[in-house]
Amino acid sequence: MKRLDQFLGWLPWLLGAVIIGGIVHIVSILAMPRLAPNDSWARFAAVAPLSRLTPLPPVTPGKEFGPYEDPAMAVSICRYDLDRGPLRLRGNFTGGQLILLSFHSRYGDVFYSMTDRSAARGVLDILVVTSTQLATIEAYDSEDELPSELRLTAPDRLGYVIVRGLAPQPGNRDAAAARVAAIACGVEAAIPG
Amino acid sequence: MKRVAAVPDRTLENFFKTLATLLIGVALGLFATYMAVERGYGFGAVTAGAWTAWPKSGSNEADPYARAVVARTGEIPLGLAEGLMFVARADDDGAPFDPKCDYTIRGPMPPTRYWTITLMDPHGLLIENEIQRYGFTSAEIVRERNVPMDVIVSASARPGNWLPIGQQAPFIMVLRLYDTIVRSSASAIEARALPAVTRGRCA
Repeated sequence: MKRLDQFLGWLPWLLGAVIIGGIVHIVSILAMPRLAPNDSWARFAAVAPLSRLTPLPPVTPGKEFGPYEDPAMAVSICRYDLDRGPLRLRGNFTGGQLILLSFHSRYGDVFYSMTDRSAARGVLDILVVTSTQLATIEAYDSEDELPSELRLTAPDRLGYVIVRGLAPQPGNRDAAAARVAAIACGVEAAIPG
Repeated sequence: MKRVAAVPDRTLENFFKTLATLLIGVALGLFATYMAVERGYGFGAVTAGAWTAWPKSGSNEADPYARAVVARTGEIPLGLAEGLMFVARADDDGAPFDPKCDYTIRGPMPPTRYWTITLMDPHGLLIENEIQRYGFTSAEIVRERNVPMDVIVSASARPGNWLPIGQQAPFIMVLRLYDTIVRSSASAIEARALPAVTRGRCA
């Protein structure tokens, strides 16, 4: 009986510890994206200017631009700030070589991704916009024609596009980098209106 | 008299109990976070044999665990349509990789346009080796018919698709499926759909 009494005496404290543990766990998991000092955005701000496709260095030991990067990929980044205007990406996928695109917001969410195969007729034409910009653009759309470009509404003003080109053999690396570099990324100059 | 003296004792005891509860609680919570983020035991992980992936990290429905992992490592996750990255930190028997041993990665691969296999240190960085061979792509390996994946991982040169262990230091294996039909949204992937990781001889 004395044992049970002792146990019952400790029980509320134990439960308290578990509840506090749960709260600390949830808060720390949720806060991680905002608190992590070394996230992609912070690292790339130093090396890649806004609104321009910038090649990242080949992934070799000691020179990685980030963890878990595939050495078989030639990678470029285009950082954007939609306050400067919508972001336009254009390119042609002709060679049938693997090219991957992903659209990330400031805190790392991937809001869209695609491969060269998912581009209609091998043509890449994407406009990244805020919802306000989208409304402006749509107001000037012709009523008879569907827009030729793919319009992506970004969840956040800031973000970056990652373009990856696979070099199936190490010797193809320059060709893969050239395929990636051939994609144009920049601020859309003229918004109608 | 005794009873009066007992009152401050009780307060002190309760104070220490509260303090201990707080400290243990915080430690528990942080430990759970550590296990989830560093070890991959969170809800978002999908395991198939030796391989673990965080499929949701590349979508805008990334769960908080997948987001925390990505923020912590600072990696750029592969998007849903781009492909899927699997990491193995131990062989099929659950034994962590030993740089003194040989390992074979052999068996089936899900339908995918390209795959690559890379050796990395536990933080996802490359390990220097003399022949500067850090991985293979599906286009460059020599293989038997009907065996899509056949790679030997060893510190010393081996015939076939030899992936060198550059240093006597811990390593992990990273398998990427690019443009694959294995949907990133999959909550389960059959273990036998991915190649087996088996330990061979040890030096």
